[in-house]
Amino acid sequence: MENLNIQATQRTPEVDFNFEKSIFFLRGESYPEDVTSFYGPVISQLREHLASREGVEISFGFELIYFNSSTAKILFGLFENLDEAASAGNKVNITWAFEEDDDNMEEMGAEFAEDLEHADFQLKQLKG
Amino acid sequence: MAFEIFERELAVLKDATAVLEKGEIVDASDAQRYAQLIKDYEKLLKSSRRLVRLSDRTEEKLNKLARSFDEKNRMLEGLSVKLSKYLSPQVYHSIFSGEQDVVLSTKRKKLTVFFSDIKDFTGTTEHLQPEDLAEVLNRYFSEMSKIALQYGATIDKFIGDAMVMFFGDPESKGVQEDARICVQMAVAMQRRMRELEQIWRESGNEKPFRMRIGINTGYCNVGNFGSDQRMDYTIIGSEVNLAARLESKAKAGGILMSYETYALVRDMVDATERAPVKVKGIDREIRSFALNDIYDEKLSERRFLRNSREGMILLLDKDKLDQEGCQQAVTDLEAALHEIKGWLE
Repeated sequence: MENLNIQATQRTPEVDFNFEKSIFFLRGESYPEDVTSFYGPVISQLREHLASREGVEISFGFELIYFNSSTAKILFGLFENLDEAASAGNKVNITWAFEEDDDNMEEMGAEFAEDLEHADFQLKQLKG
Repeated sequence: MAFEIFERELAVLKDATAVLEKGEIVDASDAQRYAQLIKDYEKLLKSSRRLVRLSDRTEEKLNKLARSFDEKNRMLEGLSVKLSKYLSPQVYHSIFSGEQDVVLSTKRKKLTVFFSDIKDFTGTTEHLQPEDLAEVLNRYFSEMSKIALQYGATIDKFIGDAMVMFFGDPESKGVQEDARICVQMAVAMQRRMRELEQIWRESGNEKPFRMRIGINTGYCNVGNFGSDQRMDYTIIGSEVNLAARLESKAKAGGILMSYETYALVRDMVDATERAPVKVKGIDREIRSFALNDIYDEKLSERRFLRNSREGMILLLDKDKLDQEGCQQAVTDLEAALHEIKGWLE
């Protein structure tokens, strides 16, 4: 599968998916005008990739500054997909990075991680 | 099928409905309860989708508002930076920090007031073209304002070629220290004026500006004067007028202080008392002191020794001591040393 690199815009995050190494990043702000058309292709490629992995190390880094409710729903689904991949025998590491003093984003990360049963999760504070 | 953010929930609903439709639930009562459960789940899903849409729309509006606030904030910041140039930094700070209300109110405070103007301004400038005059005048005000800000003066106003400043409000270091800083500032200004005089002469100005300064310390009314529509943070009172009168009696390049100011700075200046004068608007005779020099290493090139602390004041001025005077000083200091040593035993 070809790697996916989408530059960030004012409303959409940077998507940096390296399928070859199974290293994935989402960075920036997310409140797309049409959430399904932005995330649809991204999520379906990721799901397809995750479903085909077994016994590999998968790393997903979130560095989000702001996201809207629709994105939150997408993220809940994404966490479930990652947890399923971990349950299928992969070593899944999720890092949720937040800016210094952004208590809200830190709390969100903790909430997303609440339902994880198999994946490893880590909160990371970004330096100034 | 297009991507759907509630696709998991929709899949659950589809599976559950299929179970019912296939008649896999045999018991009619269970089937009825199961159908009700599906209906409730469907409702819940519908309201969740509506809530997310509603939340997105609200967030969008809030974001727009936040962006508009940011824009307005930036505009106000820019505006306040521009406005700050019309106000003294201390006054600007006290208003913008909320320490001071923008209402018509005044208080009485002991201030040291500084007045200056250019000696014979009209005569000095009549040969200058308006553009050249504006340039020289702006340079003069810029240079003097820079020094005033370094010393923490509250710049009241510029009137033509004159400057009015004061020390003691809105910030004060105490009456004596305010007076001392004001005198130091005046000396620094005259020193810079002498440098500028040279620069102006070299650039072809035959009659460079020469500044006169008057300083007085006393109780003034300070605060917002004017009307609710247009007010001015300024000082009024006879002590303010006295500073202006002293300035008019100062020599070009000179600093003339009232006795009240001199009394607060006498240990750090060399000054000559002038004959008492009567000034317009003040009944009493005014004692005034023309400053010759200041005992300050940064501001004076004079050779002197100055040391003062509680219980001790020492001042030796080389310019005022001839050979005989120096000999006498040695004798006096030796006697003083002998005495002090006695106190230590």
